[in-house]
Amino acid sequence: MKFLKKCALASVAAASLLTATVPTVTMASDIEQVGRQAYLEALKGKRVIFIPLSQGMDLNQAWTAVWTRYADKYGINFEVRDPNMDTSAGIRALQGAIAEKPDVLIVQNPDVQTYARALKQAQAAGIKVLQINMQSITQTDSYVGNDWIQMGRDEAGELARVCLADGAPSKKIVWLAGVQTGAANIYMREGIDQILAENPELELVSDQPADYDSEKARQITETVLQQHPDLCGIMGIWDNTEVGAGAAVKAAGKEDQVTIVTNGAGAATGCESIKNGLLDVIYNFNAPIQAEVAAQQIGEFLQNPDREAGSEKTVFFGPITRIDASNATGRNCWTADQLK
Amino acid sequence: MKRNQESPESRAGTAFKITQEGVVMAIAVLLFAMFSVLLDNFLTQGNILTLLKNVAILGTLAVGMGFIVVGRGIDLTMVAVMVVGVAFAIWLNQQGFGFGQAIVIGGGLVVLCGLATGILVTIAEVPPIFATLAMASIVYGGGRVAFNSDVLYAPADIAWLNFIGSGKLFGIPMSVVIFAGLAALIAAFLHFTRFGRFVYATGDNPQAARTMGLPTRPVLISQYVISALIAYLAGILMTGLVSGINTRLYNSTLIYDVLLVVVLGGISLSGGQGGVRNVLVGTVLVGILINGMTILNFSYTSQNLIKSVILLGALALDAIINPRDEQTSQSGDI
Repeated sequence: MKFLKKCALASVAAASLLTATVPTVTMASDIEQVGRQAYLEALKGKRVIFIPLSQGMDLNQAWTAVWTRYADKYGINFEVRDPNMDTSAGIRALQGAIAEKPDVLIVQNPDVQTYARALKQAQAAGIKVLQINMQSITQTDSYVGNDWIQMGRDEAGELARVCLADGAPSKKIVWLAGVQTGAANIYMREGIDQILAENPELELVSDQPADYDSEKARQITETVLQQHPDLCGIMGIWDNTEVGAGAAVKAAGKEDQVTIVTNGAGAATGCESIKNGLLDVIYNFNAPIQAEVAAQQIGEFLQNPDREAGSEKTVFFGPITRIDASNATGRNCWTADQLK
Repeated sequence: MKRNQESPESRAGTAFKITQEGVVMAIAVLLFAMFSVLLDNFLTQGNILTLLKNVAILGTLAVGMGFIVVGRGIDLTMVAVMVVGVAFAIWLNQQGFGFGQAIVIGGGLVVLCGLATGILVTIAEVPPIFATLAMASIVYGGGRVAFNSDVLYAPADIAWLNFIGSGKLFGIPMSVVIFAGLAALIAAFLHFTRFGRFVYATGDNPQAARTMGLPTRPVLISQYVISALIAYLAGILMTGLVSGINTRLYNSTLIYDVLLVVVLGGISLSGGQGGVRNVLVGTVLVGILINGMTILNFSYTSQNLIKSVILLGALALDAIINPRDEQTSQSGDI
């Protein structure tokens, strides 16, 4: 009995000691950054699912590297469901994700139509939807990506400057499209048409999609160069495609005559292509910065869980930097390893 | 072999026999004449060379595919093997291997792929269309797991690779020279070697060939190895031309374009007939079509539509000219 009593006493003493020490521990770190605790609690354990076009592209690697870093830091559960360019697999992945009801869904659309209905369904199910760089006709809570019409204006404007200047080889230009139903393609084309309307003397001699394939870009360029040996400029939609156009121009020995303008995520491979003389100008939309903006938007979504999905619609246009041989270095040329 | 059994027309002594090759050749000549008249700068030396250069890769792949189809097979792994083989070599190079060394090791991997396909088709007796469809997925999937990026760039300072891409021999682009050389080699192989005759015999009637004591299995397996190596060569050509390889080509319609060229040229899918000449005719027709449509600035969709209509027409023609009979439609036929 005595022994038991002693034990009980000891445990009471221990317990009181413990309760006494706990507040002192908290006392030691009494400084609390305003709002931080709420931020951490709002983000911890939340689920974010990303449905890309394909993780094989440089821009996708940059985005997910940044998002994974952000998710790891704040305890978000981040998943990528890669349909690898297969639209029907993408729809299935999207439907599957909606059924799982994550807190946020990030979507890169293959075209403006395919996911349009599913995105509405997702928002109706209370999931906040962020579209990255490639839009759907359904506007959702947020779009983070390029101002594609401006991108079209930038590229066509670049060629207008070069090809309408005195001493230009001709006023002939070529548009190497991507996939014609893609949002980037549709909006860029609008920007290009605006510049063409403003500069009616510019002559668009070829308007064919290279389908994001460098060999197709090379074939089209080589054929067009035969028809128009005095070609002045080529504009394209992705640096990894237009290297093919560059190869054709180089094979024809017309590097100094033909200006090749395109856009890209800012990967080091694009800078290499400029140094190798395959490309002249890349309008760099800096995928890592896009991803940082998107990460903050995700943080904002999670801090405001009570706001209804689809009730507010925000657009973020990321920065675009013009890269040529003079600045194809340093921060303008990232590698995937640097971002991890 | 086939020649002895059929062709009642020739026995009857008709002077003119319509073959699919002849029809396609006529269409090609007609288109060529039409474009020459209607389009400025079509009939120039530069444009003709461009036309040929633009079909060099397609033609190279089609020679490999034709070689398989003659033996009553089909190889849908070609594009997968092409992109993954070369991507693997470039990846090895990035890991520190010399480029030449990497190309050789990549070739080894490609041979293994061909061997695996051949064994599946001959020993496991999986119909070639399914065996190669599955193998293509495996090869591409394996590559997709191994390499992070779709697009892999070769180093810019490999002299021989740059020569393949932009060099010329007697004014003819190297890619065209290599394509022509390969076509000549395979044609000679099919016609002048015993092995080549075995390929025809196996394609014509595998059971009969086997009963006669021909080594049909080794013949078929080596066919798949050779076609894999030809695909690899096409990949190296492409890397030379555009300084890198895009593995996503696997998802494109390229493999169907290759089949189009083979069938269009008049190589019957029931095997045992046709040869490299048919492939060349098909390649030239597709080359003229694509070149003309690009000059005319046709949209991508209409280009695909026109190409598909021609494929369908060629297949229908094939069925009429080479009707299936008890002998030719057997198991393993596609």
